[in-house]
Parts: sequence; structure tokens; C-alpha cells
Amino acid sequence: MEILRSLYEVVWFIVLIALGVGALEGYFYYHFKFHDRRWFFPAALAAFPLAALAVSAPLSAPSFAHWLWFLGAEAVVAAAFRWIVRGRHTLPYLLLAPAFVGLALLLVYPFVFEFYLSFHDLKLTTIMMWKNTGRIPFVGLDQYIKVFTTSPLSEVTFWALLGRTLLWTFTNVFFHVLGGFALALLLNNSIRFKGVYRTLLVIPWAMPQVVAVLAMRGEFHATNGFVNIVLGKIAAAFPFLAHLGVGPVQWLSDWPLTTCTIINIWLGIPFMMVVILGGLQSISSSYYDAADIDGATYFQKLRFITLPLIRPVLMPAVTLGTVWTFNNINVIYLVTGQAGGTEQADILVSALYKAAFTYNRYSYSAAFAIVVFALLFFISVTYLHGFDAAKEER
Amino acid sequence: MASVQFKGIIKKFKDNTVLNGVDVDIKDHEFVVIVGPSGCGKTTLLRMLAGLEDVTGGDILIDGLRVNDLHPSKRQIAMVFQDYALYPHMTVEENMSFALRLRKTDKGEIDARVSEAASILQLQKFLKRMPKQLSGGQRQRVAIGRAIVRKPKVFLFDEPLSNLDAKLREEMRVEIAKLYQRLNATIIYVTHDQVEAMTLAGRIVIMNKGIVQQVGSPIEVYRKPANLFVAGFIGSPTMNFMHGRLSLEGEKLVFSNADIKLTVPPYLLSDQKKHDGREVTLGVRPDDVLVGRDGQDCSDKVDGVLEVCELLGHRENLYINVGGMRLLATVEAFFNRSPGSAVQLCFNYRNMHVFDKATEKRISD
Repeated sequence: MEILRSLYEVVWFIVLIALGVGALEGYFYYHFKFHDRRWFFPAALAAFPLAALAVSAPLSAPSFAHWLWFLGAEAVVAAAFRWIVRGRHTLPYLLLAPAFVGLALLLVYPFVFEFYLSFHDLKLTTIMMWKNTGRIPFVGLDQYIKVFTTSPLSEVTFWALLGRTLLWTFTNVFFHVLGGFALALLLNNSIRFKGVYRTLLVIPWAMPQVVAVLAMRGEFHATNGFVNIVLGKIAAAFPFLAHLGVGPVQWLSDWPLTTCTIINIWLGIPFMMVVILGGLQSISSSYYDAADIDGATYFQKLRFITLPLIRPVLMPAVTLGTVWTFNNINVIYLVTGQAGGTEQADILVSALYKAAFTYNRYSYSAAFAIVVFALLFFISVTYLHGFDAAKEER
Repeated sequence: MASVQFKGIIKKFKDNTVLNGVDVDIKDHEFVVIVGPSGCGKTTLLRMLAGLEDVTGGDILIDGLRVNDLHPSKRQIAMVFQDYALYPHMTVEENMSFALRLRKTDKGEIDARVSEAASILQLQKFLKRMPKQLSGGQRQRVAIGRAIVRKPKVFLFDEPLSNLDAKLREEMRVEIAKLYQRLNATIIYVTHDQVEAMTLAGRIVIMNKGIVQQVGSPIEVYRKPANLFVAGFIGSPTMNFMHGRLSLEGEKLVFSNADIKLTVPPYLLSDQKKHDGREVTLGVRPDDVLVGRDGQDCSDKVDGVLEVCELLGHRENLYINVGGMRLLATVEAFFNRSPGSAVQLCFNYRNMHVFDKATEKRISD
């Protein structure tokens, strides 16, 4: 019976979405098709604001102000369809409409709301005021100033977090590319069981990250983890190594960021490997023949032929990898123990998460998120610009 | 400059024998073209000489030195590839000087050699360009320039013109012929195009199925093909073949099959009695099938039906049915007859070839 209930809920949800899309398409169809009829404006202004009022009734009690607002919005939309769109490209726009409305609801609205929040002060002490009156105190740029002057957590400052994030990103991406490149070079040779190796190497990437990270976290456990057991055995077998300080380490409490880095490197190598392998396989073997005759050694071929020729695939992959690593909250959140764990491993986004959902500083977090976004935007544009320049010279 | 010798070269890819005992001597300053249909092993032979493929059996000698196990760069050869293999991220100049830079050659020396090669190939204007900014013919010239700059003992060309369009191919063919006169180097050139082979070569090596069929000057292989394969491969349009049996009728040796009966003159097959009863294949080039006015005063006329005429401009290809055989005759334009009309033809016996049907070897003189 439980199963039936769940199925019923899923089907109901699907029907609801279908109805929503249908209503949306109907709404746009009306505006496209009848924009030049005499009754276009009266019918639109009579029907749609009332419909919107009915749909929004469960969210807030219908009021005259709401109705006026919907009326104004509909007037603007109808005018745009009558004098600007004028029924052109009906089919393409109708087909695009669900995607655009979905994007607007899921991306544009939250982004605009976040932007709005970052100039106000929504936190634990003002949230009841917001609920009761619908107003939040406007504070201007205060939140942005706070981002750079106060700590999002209890002790670490923004600047320390930024440095840590840059170090984390650089280390990860560096070893992703290095490891991926080395493995791709190995796999690009004609070796036996190549398909098996490739499959095995891609598994960490194919596994859900939560499962992979939690499994790896277990391996770093202080007494029962694989890593410490091996280190302990090595120290016992080679006493001179033990003298040098090799031995079990409290990974999760003493070296949380290092642990996160090791785990994330392991997780990220397969992606780079696949991308670089694709690049390597697209290089014509005649370049290597020509280089052989020209007298290039293995490393010269790597340096003068392989690297320049995989650059076009490597650059976008590095850009993506940088953004993903910079924004990677999963690994840190899952390894260091959820809210209230250590702060030693926090990078910008995980600190941001804690500021919002552990310390309930919503407006501050909104400003913080916009700063992080600006940083990433800058980094990506720089990368892509460099990539374009590289493409020009080819 | 150097001589090259292949001695009993064998190449196998696993169980698949690609080359089966290739013996060729190439002299100093010689332009040798290796020609054959695709899959005959000609490119493999060239790549083995370059050191890009291992030698399964036999020896390769450059200037008397056995090079089987020598690294490609140590063999003092330069190769021009079918797809040019210009490094796409280097300028023309960098491409041409790459080998010298790897060898840490003196900068002035590099510049001198690059500009010399560029002036030979008229590439001075393009030195700073990227390969993708060049046309196919220009890229080909850069690839040749890259070879010249290294001053190798032997130049290897691997189907260098096959990626160019027909007109450009003709131009580059002349360029390469001029280049050979100027460099006076040992050149080994692989192609599947028998026109390139005939026009460029000092000597032609014709290969099929991993075996050398004939080695000789273009005129030798054209006039005296050693076997049926060479006869069919060299020359365009292709030679006509007629299968039949030789028999002695009185003093005369007669070739006959179901459709045709010809007297074989003694200058074609001396010692005529020996050939009585032999199964043979007669080969006649389309130019030597005489039709209309050309064939007025020959004996042994054959009746046929004109099937198709192809006008080429100054010449015309006539496809003529003689019984069950189709013969191609190439005559002066215009042969003013409509398809379906009866024509009489005869053969120029002086240029006729006789091959044994079983061994496919040439038996005429």
C-alpha cells in the first residue's frame, strides 16, 4: 500500500507539472494567436489576473493590491505581444517557452532574490519581522563590507578562507591534470586489457560522490582506516622510517584539509583522464613519425607535440575543473562532518553554507555568495580569454 | 647523397605477410618511384627504410651501412608525408627548423638553411604563417622544405600528391621534377598513380602483393612489361588482353580463340615451333588497335561492332565488341561513326605482348 501511495504521489506530481506546462502554453498561445483581435486586451485583462489570483490563493490571501499588481503585469505582457512580438515566430517561441520559464523560476528568480537580500539584513533576529510585516531593514553595502571584515565562521577570516580556497583549487586541479595526463599516456599505448583498466579508472567518477567520499572517509579513520593501518605496518617493518616520523596520523582531526584534498584528487582524476585520452587519440600518428625522423626524444615529443596539441581540449577541461573544485562543498562537507565540525578544512563555499544554514545569517551569506560568484566569473573569463588567444595562434 | 639497398626484406604483421622478399638496389643520385595498387606494401617498405616500422627479415643498407636497428633520426633520411604532418602549432619557419633546433644547431646556420630552402620553394612570404593559413600546395612545399633543410642523404616521399586536386597535382609534379634536377639527390618516391611514376622516375619499382614485379626505366616497363600485372598496371588506358591458344598451321603460328584468329609473326615469337599448343594471353595497348584509316593496309582484319565512343578532345576512345570480347582502341578524333555500326580493326604486331597464361610471364621478345 505504501508503494501505491508513493506511485500515486509521483503520478500526481507529473500531472501537476503537465497541467502547469499546458496552462503556460495556453497562455502564450492566446497572446501569439489573438494579438490583433479587437477583444484581445479586454479578454486578457479580465481572465488572466483573476486566474493568477486564484492560483496564488493558497500562498497568500487574495487582496485588491494583489489583483492590481497582476492586472498591471498582464497589461505590460499583452502590450508587448501586441506591438513588439506581433505573433512572429509563434512555433519556436511556444516550444522554447517551458524551458525559459523553468530557467526563470529556477535561476533568475533566486539570483534576483539573492541580490535583493544582499542589500538588506535578513538574519535570525529579523526573520520574524519579515514574516509578520513583509519588510527587511535596508542596509546598503553593509553586508558587502562585512564579508571582507568579519568572519563567516567563528574564527577564520574571509582572506584566510580565500587563500585556502585558492591553494585547494590549485593543488587539486594540478594533480587532477598531472594524474589524468599520466594515466591517459599509459592508456594510449596498445596494452592488453585496456578496456578493463579504463573502466576501473573511471569508476570513482561514475560512483555517486556521496558514496565515494563517505567510503574514502572511512579509509582515513584514525584506528580502523586502511591508510593508518598501512602506515602503522610500514613503521613497524622499517624502524628507520618510524624515526623519520612515519606512522599513523589523526587524519580527520589534525589534517582535515589534506585529507579532503587527497580524496578530491582521487575523485577528480578520472574526468581529466577521459578528456585527455580523447585529446591524445585525436592526434594523428604522422606527427610522431615526423618527430621521430626529426630526432625528437620521448620527452621532446611530449613537450613539443603532445602538449600543444591537447591544449584545445585541456583548456576547457581545466576551466571546468577549476570552477567545480572552487565550488566543491560535497567533499569538505561530507569529510569534516556536517554542521559544527572543524573549521580547519573550510573553503569559501563550505563557510558560506555554514554561515547561511548553521549561523542563519541569510543576507550576509547572499552578499558572500555574490562575492564568490564574482571571483569565479573573473577566473573563468580569464581562462577562456587565454584559451581564445591560444586558439588564435593556431 | 647515398645508395640504398633492400636485401630480402620480409615484413609480417602477426601472421599477415606484407612484404615477401624484396630486393632492390638504388644507386646514388637516383630518382626511384615505387608504384603499385593500394595494399601492395610500398608504403610499408618506405616506412621501414625510414625506421618507422621494424624489419621482420632481411637487411636495409644506406651507403653500405646496415640501418635495420638505427633510430630514424640517425639514418640521415628525410620524409615527406601524405598528410604533410606539419606541426599545426608552429609557423612555417618553426616547422622547417624543428629538426635543427632539436639538434642544437647554430642559430645562423639554421637561418641560412631555412632561407635557402624557402627560396628554392618560393616560400619566403609564408615563413611567419601557420600551416592552417596555407593552401594544400603550399603546405606540401613546406613539407618538402622541412626535408630539404635537414640536408639528408635520401629523400623519401610517401604519396605526397595524393591529397591535392588534379590540377595542383600536375603543377607539383613539375615542381618535384625541377627540385630533383636542382638537388640531384637520391629520392625514393612512393605512389599508386602510374602517371606520376612514369613522369618522375629514373627507375620504376612495380610492386604487387608484397613482391617486386619489375624494376626498370619507365620506357622499359612500358615497352617490355615482365608479366601480366605490370602490363595491366602501367599505361593508361589499360592494355587489352585476349586469352587463347597458339597452334602451328603449316609454317605459321596462329593465335585463336572462339572470337578471333590471328597470325603471330616470327619477330614477336622466335622459334615458333616451340610454342605449338601453348595457352597464352595476348596484350595490345589501345593505341596499337588500328581502326579505320590507320588499319587500311594490314592483313588479318577482325570484324567488330562499335559499342561506345568517348571523345577526349584530340583522341577518342572506342569500345568495340569482337564476339564476346570488348577491345578498347584509341584513335585520332573524330571517328565519325555511330554506336552499333560495324567496324574493322587490326593490330600493330610490333607492339604486341605475349604472356604465358599459366605463369603470367612475358614470353615474347
